[in-house]
Amino acid sequence: MIHLSPFMELALDAAALRQQVLANNIANAETPFFRRSDVRFADVLTEAYQRQAFVGKRTDPRHIPFGAQTEPTIQVIQEGRLMNSNAQSNVDLDYEMAAMSQNALWYQALVQQTSKALAKYARVLEGR
Amino acid sequence: MHMFDGLAISASGLTAQRFRMDVISSNIANANTTRSEYVDGQWLPYRRKMVRFEPMPGGFASALQKAMGRGAPGKGVVAKAIVGDPTPFQQVYMPEHPDANEEGFVLLPNVDILKEQVDLLTATRMYEANVTAFQATKAMLTKALEIGRG
Repeated sequence: MIHLSPFMELALDAAALRQQVLANNIANAETPFFRRSDVRFADVLTEAYQRQAFVGKRTDPRHIPFGAQTEPTIQVIQEGRLMNSNAQSNVDLDYEMAAMSQNALWYQALVQQTSKALAKYARVLEGR
Repeated sequence: MHMFDGLAISASGLTAQRFRMDVISSNIANANTTRSEYVDGQWLPYRRKMVRFEPMPGGFASALQKAMGRGAPGKGVVAKAIVGDPTPFQQVYMPEHPDANEEGFVLLPNVDILKEQVDLLTATRMYEANVTAFQATKAMLTKALEIGRG
């Protein structure tokens, strides 16, 4: 049975969403009173990891759940406040561009990892 | 979340910045225009125009996401309105000018060429930033097609 790491999908989703958020920040860099957003990713991953690590199994609906039961959600958060009244928005273009290229590389690395994982199954199927 | 939203967001930035460049060009072209509006039997010069940007409204889906505490990436930017610059017109002494008043003063537009040049540069750079963002998103989508290709 092909089983890819759930983290991989989550990370790909988060990176794709982050790309959109950063693109939106750049598009709105000159919009007055615009506050930049970002994606919380490290927290989400930690949350997912903890969920994987220890979850109480419930055999009866009346049991008290323990361990993280909720699906990890990728959150978009609005960041910071306006730096000063003179600034149009709190978007720092240099930061956004750097974050964007970092995010794109991160996404490509994830894609490569996923491809490698799938290639393993392909090899097994070939049986050679 | 739609797959091509990232491209649409960057495209909205491109549209907005291009629109802004049009307005700046209009300001520069009309830097000496003395007859723009006819008010109370008197010609008024061209008034400098500015673009007002607003984040594009996200609609129901993004409002729902926000209410659920998840947040949404936003939909891009939109040039909502063109507003006139309320600063006073320049008064220049040119008695030979056809639009000079009795004292020989002419009202010229409140366009400052230097300011327009700076705005034009900013708009160009913002346009380039959006192009870069667009290309980065496109590279990611292309890469996503490689999943499972081995």
